[in-house]
Amino acid sequence: MACVNSDGTLTTSAKQLLTLIQSEGMTPEHIAGSLNLPLFKVRSSLRDMKSMGFVNQTDETYIMDERARKLLERS
Amino acid sequence: MNDQLTHPTAFYALPRIGSPAPQFEITTTHGVIRLEDYKGSWLILFSHPADFTPVCTTEFMAFQSIYPQLREMNTELLGLSIDSVYSHIAWVRNIEEKMGVKIEFPVIADLNKEVATKYGMIMPDESTTETSRAVFVIDDNQIIRAIIYYPLTTGRNMDEILRLVQALQTHVKHKVATPANWRPGDKVIVPPPSSQEMAEERVKQGDVECTDWYFCKKELVE
Repeated sequence: MACVNSDGTLTTSAKQLLTLIQSEGMTPEHIAGSLNLPLFKVRSSLRDMKSMGFVNQTDETYIMDERARKLLERS
Repeated sequence: MNDQLTHPTAFYALPRIGSPAPQFEITTTHGVIRLEDYKGSWLILFSHPADFTPVCTTEFMAFQSIYPQLREMNTELLGLSIDSVYSHIAWVRNIEEKMGVKIEFPVIADLNKEVATKYGMIMPDESTTETSRAVFVIDDNQIIRAIIYYPLTTGRNMDEILRLVQALQTHVKHKVATPANWRPGDKVIVPPPSSQEMAEERVKQGDVECTDWYFCKKELVE
């Protein structure tokens, strides 16, 4: 998975993204604007993280899942 | 021998201008990407023959040089070749190390030729193992707006690719056409009148410069 390094820590971009949505849900467009990342990259990363259970999606909004908190703190 | 037998028809598949861009989900140097991830942005999907080859290296550096301008135009870049993601990673790292250019756009690892076949990027009489130098300009609604093909031997012109996107976006925004060698700031072509009455009225309009009733230009007002 593109968001986790081989040592089990989060990649830099994954950390930035999860930090941004750890307490407040945001749309991919809002995340891309806040992190100055291309929208395609945010959409791809969110899909990756959702498949790993790191984020939850409600309609167009994404928020970090509690399961990702320990990983975020450790990274 | 029957040409269809020597060259499977799949090689000939080619999306047309105005058609929806074929969808895909594929491994890239930036993770797994779907075409739909680009909805809302324009996209230049381009192929190159192979990693670690000189013409392709010059092209990659040239594409990177226009990437900031393209992004200002809400346009992304996505490369492709029939190489592994590990080859792509090694090559873009080599370009940064040896040439001092960091490649910031993703590159598709199309080892099974899935995307290359969908987009007709392989020219079997030239090579069945390499993609030609194809460029697909895809708009923000995922419709193909322009296609360029160059052979293996000849590197592409980035000025023309930039100019093409500028012209296409100008057409979308202002509903005008652009003449030969048009550059932003130049006069644009007003669509020809479709009736005799409109032709007569067209030549009287003050804001258009008509050489004849069918050949009118005007300044663009932003």
